[in-house]
Amino acid sequence: MLPGKNSEERKPVDEVEIKLNINGNVTQVKTEASTTLLYMLRDDLGLTGTKDGCSSGDCGACVVMVDNKPVNSCMMLAPQAEGTTVITVEGLEKDDELHPLQRAFGETWAFQCGFCTPGMLISCYALLETNDDPSREEILTAIAGNFCRCTGYQGVVNAVQRAAAELRTKNEDTEKTDV
Amino acid sequence: MEEFNYLAPESFDQAVVAKSQHAEKSRVIAGGTDLLLRMRDKVVAPSVLIDLRHTSLDKILISNGVMILGTSASLSQILENSEITQHFPALQTACREFAGPPIRNRATLGGNIVNASPAADLVPPLMAYDASIVLRASGGDRALPLAEFFTGPGQSVIAPDEILMEIQIPLLPASSAATFIKLGQRRSMAISQVNLTARLSMNNSDCVTDARIALGAVAPTPVRAHSAEDALVGEKLSEDLIRMAAKKAREEITPISDVRASLEYRLEMTEVLVRRALIATWKKQRRTKTSG
Ligand SMILES: Cc1cc2nc3c(=O)[nH]c(=O)nc-3n(C[C@H](O)[C@H](O)[C@H](O)COP(=O)(O)OP(=O)(O)OC[C@H]3O[C@@H](n4cnc5c(N)ncnc54)[C@H](O)[C@@H]3O)c2cc1C
Ligand code: FES
Ligand code: FES
Repeated sequence: MLPGKNSEERKPVDEVEIKLNINGNVTQVKTEASTTLLYMLRDDLGLTGTKDGCSSGDCGACVVMVDNKPVNSCMMLAPQAEGTTVITVEGLEKDDELHPLQRAFGETWAFQCGFCTPGMLISCYALLETNDDPSREEILTAIAGNFCRCTGYQGVVNAVQRAAAELRTKNEDTEKTDV
Repeated sequence: MEEFNYLAPESFDQAVVAKSQHAEKSRVIAGGTDLLLRMRDKVVAPSVLIDLRHTSLDKILISNGVMILGTSASLSQILENSEITQHFPALQTACREFAGPPIRNRATLGGNIVNASPAADLVPPLMAYDASIVLRASGGDRALPLAEFFTGPGQSVIAPDEILMEIQIPLLPASSAATFIKLGQRRSMAISQVNLTARLSMNNSDCVTDARIALGAVAPTPVRAHSAEDALVGEKLSEDLIRMAAKKAREEITPISDVRASLEYRLEMTEVLVRRALIATWKKQRRTKTSG
């Protein structure tokens, strides 16, 4: 696993074939059983939005959705993801439009270097899937596994609340048009 | 990481067969949040991994006055279960203070036990609630009190052909209350410097009828503070009695200094935290009594 599948340390091994749904596309990948989901996404599929900050579950830069729950992709073997549905940061935008959370992150200065942002976005996205009006405390709990080493967390809290408000208004509008 | 063969048996029976076939050469993988790090650091190098993900061992249910938790129940599942909120709230507190949400979505109860870390957060509450475990091998099942499972840091009595199947906790009378406290270097994402659970049963005249004090990260394995418990049982609870029991708990433990805390700090904080946990538990008792 660390530091990735191209490392010289690695010996060639039997490949495993994995089928899963990534960002809405059914995908078939040949990789090695010891590859983590993180490096399968980055090296085998070119989805480099998901970052490796520690490869030990501590920093949250690698967080992706697996079957509707945020998990550390560095702590999961590729074959453990067989048959699952995965959403990465690349899957948040729809029809070439950024997700309201992504826009709010920019508008509230929720990042500087951006390294923690993909994982942070996924943890916040997971929160908004189950809570459309989170409190500051609930947001801090949701991102307790995501470390930001250069910006801090206040901007993230503001971004999530801004995006939540936008999504609520949108939903009300759709409900009205539905009637 | 060394290479391995990855197996994902379609049933628990098949997993048990695979475990007996590959024994020492194999490891069970549940959430992987401990095992993958150990494999990466080459502390362990199994040639076969047996993934329990298709074995339906994550059920949580109550049957005949016993709560049965499948070994693969994740910490998030434990947090969401309303029967655990009702009967074993200290176990949920331990889950809430464990890592962060993405780890809690993967990490399992059974993994926390079999990993046998002296600092495992879910073990003190389970021990204080008198949990027992069931191990299965192709030869049959074996049940034992959780407290008898651990033999040293990372060491336990599990045999190479055994798989932990479930954790059983007897439902408690309403007169029992418990408190979990974790001391870490920060509020989330911290391994415990000291963790503990205190549980008290009391009669109407504030007399202690039963006591459990289970401590983690202060000895080679999670431990019960038996002499502190004995000092409480049969006595009328008071702040002085609690202070005395907390001192006894301090005398019973054998902590070490490591990267997370010094020996002296652990001794001192164990006494403080046992006191706090007992007082908090006493208050909970009073509240249940006045409310019903
Ligand atoms: C970032 C991070 C933070 C953490 N924070 C905490 C914390 O706050 N508190 C804490 O206590 N721990 C913590 N841990 C450690 C770890 O997450 C827990 O111990 C977790 O409960 C392990 O469960 P798992 O399912 O991931 O185990 P795995 O890694 O899958 O397994 C652990 C061990 O148990 C064995 N095993 C698992 N299930 C079975 C079974 N059914 N039968 C036989 N053997 C089995 C495996 O072979 C392995 O040896 C943390 C880990 C990380 C990476
Ligand atoms: S890279 Fe996975 S948690 Fe840091
Ligand atoms: S924006 Fe740089 S680490 Fe968070």
